[in-house]
Order: sequence, then structure tokens, then C-alpha cells
Amino acid sequence: MSTKHSKAASAFLEHEEDSRWHNQSIWYVREKRDKMAMELSEWEALRDLSSGIKRHTITHMDQYLEQFSKQAEANGVIVHWAKDAAEYNDIVYDILSGHQVKKVVKSKSMLTEECHLNAFLISKGIDVVETDLGERILQLMNIPPSHIVMPAIHLKRQQVGRLFEEKLHTEKGNSDPTYLTQAARMHLRNEFMTADAGMTGANFGVAATGDVVVCTNEGNADMSTSLPKLHIVSMGIEKVIPDYDSLGVFIRLLARSATGQPSTTYTSHFRKARPGCEMHIVLVDNGRSDILGNKAHWETLKCIRCGSCMNTCPVYRRSGGYSYTYFIPGPIGINLGMLKSPQEYSDNVSACSLCCSCDNVCPAKVNLSEQIYRWRQELDGFHKADPMKKMMSNGMTILYDHPSLYRFSLKMAPIVNHLPRFMVYNGLNAWGKGRELPSFAKESFETLWRKGKVK
Amino acid sequence: MSNIRKNISEVYDQPDLSIKGVQYVDTLEQFVGMSKIVGAHVQFVKKGDDINELVHRSYPEAKVIASNLPEITIATINPDKVSTPQELNGTDVAVVKGEVGVAENGCIWIPQTMKEKAVIFITEYLVILISKSKIVNNMHEAYKAITFTDYGFGSFISGPSKTADIEQALVMGAQSARGVTVLITED
Repeated sequence: MSTKHSKAASAFLEHEEDSRWHNQSIWYVREKRDKMAMELSEWEALRDLSSGIKRHTITHMDQYLEQFSKQAEANGVIVHWAKDAAEYNDIVYDILSGHQVKKVVKSKSMLTEECHLNAFLISKGIDVVETDLGERILQLMNIPPSHIVMPAIHLKRQQVGRLFEEKLHTEKGNSDPTYLTQAARMHLRNEFMTADAGMTGANFGVAATGDVVVCTNEGNADMSTSLPKLHIVSMGIEKVIPDYDSLGVFIRLLARSATGQPSTTYTSHFRKARPGCEMHIVLVDNGRSDILGNKAHWETLKCIRCGSCMNTCPVYRRSGGYSYTYFIPGPIGINLGMLKSPQEYSDNVSACSLCCSCDNVCPAKVNLSEQIYRWRQELDGFHKADPMKKMMSNGMTILYDHPSLYRFSLKMAPIVNHLPRFMVYNGLNAWGKGRELPSFAKESFETLWRKGKVK
Repeated sequence: MSNIRKNISEVYDQPDLSIKGVQYVDTLEQFVGMSKIVGAHVQFVKKGDDINELVHRSYPEAKVIASNLPEITIATINPDKVSTPQELNGTDVAVVKGEVGVAENGCIWIPQTMKEKAVIFITEYLVILISKSKIVNNMHEAYKAITFTDYGFGSFISGPSKTADIEQALVMGAQSARGVTVLITED
């Protein structure tokens, strides 16, 4: 019954010290979120509002996108519409090549990961430099992010130290985070200075004003867009929100949920290009409008990509982002992966203990665990149900539908208590791999009840 | 777009957004406290104080000081007058004016009032002037109060640039200002 996820997770857990540290560091971020949440008496009211605003906006998405693009265009911003990843990549390449861009500096955007933009641009001969420190480290190592907000959470300082020794010529054996960050600052400063274009994502797009809002702690989105003359914003269509009153709710929830800070260091509003420069917004669908029509799963569009669901998820914390087959891990990743392709990503649905903690921390009140549960019900329809589990389920159905058979097996069950270990703990007992079976009671509850032994 | 319209079935109304948000007994005190927590130095400017003197005392080693504020006479470079933003690299201290301070998170709204906004982010140290009468409780109030100039850019800035991307160790001065000084003025 091993799934891709459980196999990958086993490998992850073999590194005992690292996996323990992974779990502890991420749980610590969850605790910081809790502290923030408890300091605001209006926290739950904010979550309700955020969910309400998103539901309203998403179900009026056409109107708000129209308003947003009209406002942006009135400000002189050039707006493009991309129906899918391929079209998005082409649009971006066209803009860049039209400006003879040789080097792009980028701030973090999961959307660009989704569309595999970097690889596409690099194949066309354009140099792409990630400027978020975590993303840059991963780019230099040629590995993907393992968390949507803290992409390099799975790396230790020594790994970064060795990487920088090789790529940035830092001191041998120096893995002090301050020293390494300083080295990266120097390196990236040079990249900002010599880039031809800056690309950012968008945390929010405000329909009433045409603002693109980008939140960072490093200031890399601002550095990327203050020096080069070309700014391209990549925005998923679900990022649009109505107005500043709505924005206030989200800005108060975002950083508190994501990192346990009251706010990111920089919350920047881009309305226009700088004088003599150009600003483009590419609005990307790539399956989002289809999700809109999915009655059971449309609420995943409310997600503001804070990452708090993965921070709380006990399975994510103890298995790491690479154990998931979709590029976004954790509860939201499981759901988004299934929406992208149930055939390809169904292994991830088993990476959930249905503890429902994610539901409680999600600032947009996405019913994550409920949706994962629904996907599991639908697995057989995709022919992805595990055959062993199916057999066990069918077996259980027979057992529970036939009371005399059920009572008989209960009477026989205590025999297991006395069987030799090799008969009980073997390949057939997947559940028993890391756990001791409880001992079966000598008399079943039903027997006791019938005998009058239960008051 | 038509795909969007086609797929919308049940619609939801916008909820009532008249949330008040947290109100502090002493808004200024909360703002000062939060500013320090996010890593900024805070100083009060009393009537008669020379801001230039305060800036110099905070950053005595600074050689390149950037500002387009007429009251900053120690400025050695003006972000309105450079021909390229790259010229601002190497700025030790930039002095800018904030419009709204937010008590709940130590943010200060800085609308772009200079030709090259790079000055705000490229500088090693940032000094932000904010009037104590312009400090609000929370982001709901802030978003009702902020304005934009024709430049069409503004940013809420809360303390220095930071990252914890290497093993969750907090480091100040990732890509932008390594340190921030907030000067709270009387007017």
C-alpha cells in the first residue's frame, strides 16, 4: 500500500536530525502565527471577512477583472490575457525580446513556477536571475522550492556555505547566515544594476484602482522594478480583489499567517510605469476558470498563498516538500494538484491524516481537509483507488453488513493477541509497520451489553 | 473571459466591510513599540531640533546622503536630478518623508515623491520622517488615509530589509536598507 508520497517520506525521515529540525523549524513558524492571531481579538472576524470577500470576488470575477484591467490601462499599463501556460510564456517572451532583454531579475512568483517560465526563457537565451534569497540559492543549486514562502527551509547553512564557496567565492568553511546573506546581497546588487527587465508576481490586484500589490521582506521586488526600465507583472486571475477596504483585510492576515510577522517589510503598490519606462501585467488563467465551475473544489481559488496550511500540517512537516509530486506541497498543493490532473497527482491525497488543522489556520477559510476527503472518495472514478484498500473496504462492507459474521470475527479476534509476532507483523500488516497493535478485548462491547455488564 | 462567465453558478454578495479593527489606548506608543520590534530605531524630533544634525548623529560615517527634501541640507545627491537610477547605488543614507504611520505593524506609507524611487531601496540606511499626527491604529484606517502622487507608486515599509531564508536565522539588510531610523516630527 506504499504510495509515492510515503516512500519519499520514508527516505526523508531516514535523515533523523535533519527531519527533526525541519519539523521543529516549521512548527515554530506555526507558533508565531498563533501568537499573532491571539493578539488580535478580531482575528476570526477577519478570517470570515476574507472568506466572504473572496467568495464574492471569485463569483464576480469577470466584472472585477474587467474593472482591474480598465483601471490599469487608464494608468498606462499594458494588460495581456493568457489562457494557459504556453500562451503566458509566449507573451512574456514576446515582451522581453521586443525590448532586446538579455537579463531578467525576478521576485518570487509561484505562478511562474507553475508555467515553467524560467526554463522556457533560459532556453531562448535570456538570463533569468531569481532575487529572493531562498529562490536564488535553489536556482544556483538547480533544485526546486520545497515550500511556497520559505523555499529553502529544507537546507542547512553548511549546504548554502558550500554552494556560495563555489558560486560566489565566499570564504571556505564560513556558513554564518549573516556573512552568507551579505555575500548574496553583493552578488544580487550587481544583478539588479545590470538587468534589462524586472519581473514580479502579484499578491493582490486591486480592481478599483488598478494597483498591483507585492509583499516582500527583502525588498527584492522593489529593487527588481526600480532599476530596469521594463516591469512585467505575472498575476493569476484569482488574485483580483475589489478595493482598498478589502485589501486591508488581506494585508492584516497575510504576513501573520505566513511567517508570524504583523506585516512584511515591504508592501508595495504599483500603479504605473516609471517615467520613460513600461509596465505590463499578464493575467493568467491556466485552468483557474475551469476550477470556478467545479462545485466541490472552487473554493481553492480563495487561497492567498500564505503557506500556513503546510506549516501546520503534521504530514508536510515530517515529509518535506519534495515528497509531494506536485510543485506546491501540503494541503493546498494536494488540492491544486488534483485540480490540475487527478491522473498525475493522485498519490498526494494519501499525504493527509485528515486532522483538519489546515482548515483552522487558513486565513481564507478554504475547506482544505474536506476537499482532500472528497478527492479520496472520487479516486475510484479515476481508477486511482489503491487495490489493497479497495479490497479491505469491500471486506469491511461484507463484515458490517452481516451481523453474525461480524460477531464471529469479534469472538475470534482475541486469538491475534496470542499469535507469534511474525504472523501478525508482516507485509500484510502495513498499519503495524510503525505501531504496536492494541490487544483485542476478550469480550466485545456488544457481548458485554447483551450480558448486562454495561450500565 | 467567456469561460469565467460560463462557470459561475452560485454568486455571493460582498460582506459588510465596516470592520473597525484594533484600536490602541495609546496609538503613538504602540507605533513606537512595533517599529522597534520590526528593527527600526525611533527618535522624536522636538521643535527646534535640526533634522540634519539628527541624521548626521545617527550615521556619522555616511558620505553619500540622498534626498529631494529641501530641509535636508546635508544631501549630497538628489534622486530628482540623477539621469539614471543606477547612479544612486552607493548611497549611504536616504531621507524620505512618510505620509501615514500604522501602529499595529510599524508600517509607514511612503508615496513616491521623487523621480527615482530606487533611492528608497538601494540605500544602505533609510531615514523616514513621519508626523506624529499622521499615525493611525490599523491597516483599515491606513488604507482610507493614504494618497498617491502622479508617479503612481507607494510602499508601506516596516523596518529594515530582512530575510530568514538561511536556516531561519534572521538577518537584516537582505537586498535593501540594512537599518531604518524613524524620526517622529511634531508637525
